[in-house]
Amino acid sequence: MADTDRDGSGHGTHEHAGTAPVVEEVTDFEVLEIALRELAIEKGLFTADDHRRYTEHVEQLEPAAGSRFVARAWLDPDFKRLALDDAIAASREMGIDWLHPTGFGTPSDFTAFELLEDTPTVHHVIVCTLCSCYPRPMLGMSPEWYRTPNYRRRIVRWPRQVLAEFGLYLPEDVEVRVEDSNSKHRFMVLPVRPDGTEGWSEEQLAEIVTRDCLIGVALPRPGVTSTASRPVHPAIRPVHGD
Amino acid sequence: MTTDHDTSPTRVPTLEHIVERGQTWERMAARYHVTHPAPPWKSSLDAMCDALDEEGAALPLLTRRDDEDRMSREVYTALPYPENQLVALAHSLVTRNVIDEEELARRMEAVRARLDAAGA
Repeated sequence: MADTDRDGSGHGTHEHAGTAPVVEEVTDFEVLEIALRELAIEKGLFTADDHRRYTEHVEQLEPAAGSRFVARAWLDPDFKRLALDDAIAASREMGIDWLHPTGFGTPSDFTAFELLEDTPTVHHVIVCTLCSCYPRPMLGMSPEWYRTPNYRRRIVRWPRQVLAEFGLYLPEDVEVRVEDSNSKHRFMVLPVRPDGTEGWSEEQLAEIVTRDCLIGVALPRPGVTSTASRPVHPAIRPVHGD
Repeated sequence: MTTDHDTSPTRVPTLEHIVERGQTWERMAARYHVTHPAPPWKSSLDAMCDALDEEGAALPLLTRRDDEDRMSREVYTALPYPENQLVALAHSLVTRNVIDEEELARRMEAVRARLDAAGA
């Protein structure tokens, strides 16, 4: 593939053919939605993490392939090695062939796919700063927020601030690496397998690897699954009257 | 806080200003040749409504929904959906004293400055 941009930095060298255009302008309504949400969070009406989970629920995405992929990598050292060396070959073992468009992918989806392995001291998060390139054969359609200039512009400059807006606060000693996707090169995060999952089956593990964990804006946790019913619990900081 | 108190007659100049500027998704999407039917903030707005309904007590679900219906029908008639849903929610939160209008206006300025700075 002569025109493959292996270093992932060549946005200027190709066109993002086939990808959807976006509104490249900050609008009053976008600003109003963010302002209301921030004030509501500050007043304790809900938390940023609550909001993130409801958004995930609302968008009803089923990143089943990516979840199974990660669960298998956690359980099978040979598969993990293959996944890190040649993620496209590992995808084929899971029944996903990037060479044959599934209806989700663009024609350029197949060129390069790479798994980003988190460690206790390194956390990855993916973005497409120019448009909305996304590993669709693995994760389905991208979330609405992934396509906004708000996320695309700010995650690369202020990653900790943006991750905090998703309710994810990383310790200072954890390095954050933001990987910029493009039409030739797609990424997915391999999170650290969380404590409390010892002895779990592949199916159990896959349930806690939600879409946001594979993008890198959340961490997998026992008990938190994408198919769980919506969180319902009394407000921690209820507001009474005026 | 009651669910039957009608706050629609209360004017909220900050929101009226947004309506006047008219940056609706329909218009903006056409300008940038975007065909997606819903604005990118729609799912976040839906999540905010769900979070308010489930997690907090400041704006009860039925009040929020009644307000949304009434504001869309009687006050923000110039706005299409889902802009009217968003502005109705803001109207409810302001007129029911959950969020102060001046505080909202200041925050909007700050958010816009932050987002514009990221695009500079």
